[in-house]
Amino acid sequence: MSAITAHKDPKLPPPVDLPEGADWVKALALFDPHVAETLVAVARTLYPHEGLPERVYRRTVFHFDAMAAKAPGAAQTFAEFVDLVDGALPMAFLELTESYRLQVLKGIEATTAFQLVQRSTVRFLYDDLEVWQAFGYEGASVHLGGYVKRGFNDLDWLPDPPPGV
Amino acid sequence: MTAYELDDDGVVVIIGSGAGGGTLANELAQRGIDVVLLEAGKHLTPDDFVNDEWGGYEMLSWLDKRTSSGNWRVAKDHPTAPSWSCQVVGGTTTHWSACCYRLIADEMRAKTVYGDIPGTTLIDWPITLEEIEPYYDLAEAKMGVTRTNGLPGLPANNNFKVMYAGASALGLNVSTGRHAINSVPYDGRPATTQDGFTITGDKVGSRWSTLNVEIPRGLATGKLELRPQSRAVQIEHDEAGKASAVVYVDAAGVTHRQKARAVVMAGNCVESSRLLLHSKSARFPDGLANGYGHVGRHYLRHLIQTVWSVFDKPVYMHRGEIMGGMIDDFVRHDPGRGFAGGYYIEMNSMGLPTTAAFMDPGWWGRDFVSVIEQYANMAGIFMSGEDMPQADNRVTLTDEVDAYGVPVANIHYDDHPNDLKMRVHGYKQLTAIHKAAGAKRSIEAPAYPASHNLGSNRMAAKPEDGVLDGNCRAWEVPNLFITDGSNFATGGACNPTLTIVALAIRQADFMAKQMAAGEL
Ligand SMILES: Cc1cc2nc3c(=O)[nH]c(=O)nc-3n(C[C@H](O)[C@H](O)[C@H](O)COP(=O)(O)OP(=O)(O)OC[C@H]3O[C@@H](n4cnc5c(N)ncnc54)[C@H](O)[C@@H]3O)c2cc1C
Repeated sequence: MSAITAHKDPKLPPPVDLPEGADWVKALALFDPHVAETLVAVARTLYPHEGLPERVYRRTVFHFDAMAAKAPGAAQTFAEFVDLVDGALPMAFLELTESYRLQVLKGIEATTAFQLVQRSTVRFLYDDLEVWQAFGYEGASVHLGGYVKRGFNDLDWLPDPPPGV
Repeated sequence: MTAYELDDDGVVVIIGSGAGGGTLANELAQRGIDVVLLEAGKHLTPDDFVNDEWGGYEMLSWLDKRTSSGNWRVAKDHPTAPSWSCQVVGGTTTHWSACCYRLIADEMRAKTVYGDIPGTTLIDWPITLEEIEPYYDLAEAKMGVTRTNGLPGLPANNNFKVMYAGASALGLNVSTGRHAINSVPYDGRPATTQDGFTITGDKVGSRWSTLNVEIPRGLATGKLELRPQSRAVQIEHDEAGKASAVVYVDAAGVTHRQKARAVVMAGNCVESSRLLLHSKSARFPDGLANGYGHVGRHYLRHLIQTVWSVFDKPVYMHRGEIMGGMIDDFVRHDPGRGFAGGYYIEMNSMGLPTTAAFMDPGWWGRDFVSVIEQYANMAGIFMSGEDMPQADNRVTLTDEVDAYGVPVANIHYDDHPNDLKMRVHGYKQLTAIHKAAGAKRSIEAPAYPASHNLGSNRMAAKPEDGVLDGNCRAWEVPNLFITDGSNFATGGACNPTLTIVALAIRQADFMAKQMAAGEL
């Protein structure tokens, strides 16, 4: 999509590599498949990037699962959240189409459970290397010498400011 | 390695190793004074730092819970993290973006110049600009501030080209500004590699911090002992009402009591007020140095906000130093604008992770998606303006205690009508600048957690108006000092750290003279 290459800091653990297909849920510590798939659908409804593959949203939910496994309070809130979205209409959230999914989410916007899920989606979705690559964020740079020789001032569609300004 | 005894009552104990405390520690040590520097956080090295926005945030930040109240947007967006600072040796100077501007004379006479503004507790500073100018000179030299001492400004990067095009089309006075970041090698530190990660520790070390400049130099004198992972939990005083010791908890959870000749609090505003409020005694039932009830009050956080705009073509704002742009047309107080005080316009850049998180927390759906997908084509522009002091905007203690038994702090902040007027004026200017450069769409991002925390232990000409005298010494406790932004009498408009550092150097002079005269 963009002419850049995104890098994670080499000191950090590499991105998680989830199995493709329905088996991805086996990588989870805590969530059952229903909870996991519901949260994936919620993440996509909140931030519906047409160009992003399903695995990006799955990795986001993988991080929710890790949060929940570490903090019982968070685990409980995620569980409550899934109950909320499933109970809002006579059909489970996963079975709904987009307009109903939106209606359900708008109805619970003020809850702490919604806030946890929405904030956590932002926290992890936009911290994903594949998303960085897709949207043109290059990430870590010191190990490549920074941008001093890699385009920190290469914008060419506006006139250059006078030197020393 | 210098090591002082716990019952050595000849040492100055400084709590906090950031801009204020780290500088003061070095300045006192250079003057031959024995110093123990207590720092809650770890002593990290450039090797530990990462080029990663969240990784860096989680490594460096003060993550202990706080609560918030009042009608400020931060209480809604960031209810348990209303203030943004670090817990690490070097404090928030490991994280800051190093804009370095000076207060102007009018700002230090805010009450006189702005007049009576209902609801505010404006005062004039007890010191004048002329009194701190020599210390600004010293601070700029030690920090290597660009465009001072013959140092060139930072070069224009992509985000600045956008800012420059818009601002110059509108006839504004725009430059890359002044920063404690080396544009050329200086003082043993290299020039910036434009890596864009000063705020996650700065692995390259081109930016001044107390971690890479002040503390190593202080340690080299043999007069300074740094104790990392040492959390101060109480300041004690003797029968005469002088500060006598600091109680702290080390990494192993063991409590110690370090005796002191003088105590300096430099915990970044909120923590300083919190510790004073918590240090209660029969003599100070409402907290140390709080006889007049000013500790924690008049809390300021500057009017900070960003406009993010989307352009037709790529900007890649993450490339290069993140705040290298400044416009000073709106700094001076001008009653014709309909509000008191002024503001700086500065450049702002963030990576994708934090742009998404701070653009408008709580925003979701297709509209958000359509903006953030164009991250590569986004530019950022920011303002820092003077907010009005109000008595009830304050740090207080809650009933909840932390792991060290110290009550969690609450920060209450209600916006003043003057604040709203300045914010609206600012958003209009920021948006107009980007529009003039061809922006397709501009997003008004709200304030993020308070990064300029000021005023909550302010200095004043008399004890009825503030906690400290003009030498940053508590009116009620003659050997207790504050060396962080909480000592500001009013906030001014500019980013505060250069002033914090200048005041710390001045304070070192004052303390050394008092000691030499046998008065401290
Ligand atoms: C993202 C960001 C960008 C910024 N950019 C700029 C900028 O461009 N220009 C500018 O002027 N300012 C900037 N600032 C603000 C600047 O960082 C602060 O003004 C400055 O660091 C404050 O100095 P300080 O000494 O008060 O506190 P800090 O530097 O925060 O240091 C306080 C230290 O005290 C320690 N401490 C606190 N309580 C205790 C305790 N009980 N026991 C032991 N230790 C304790 C903390 O762990 C911390 O290390 C920025 C801030 C942020 C968050």
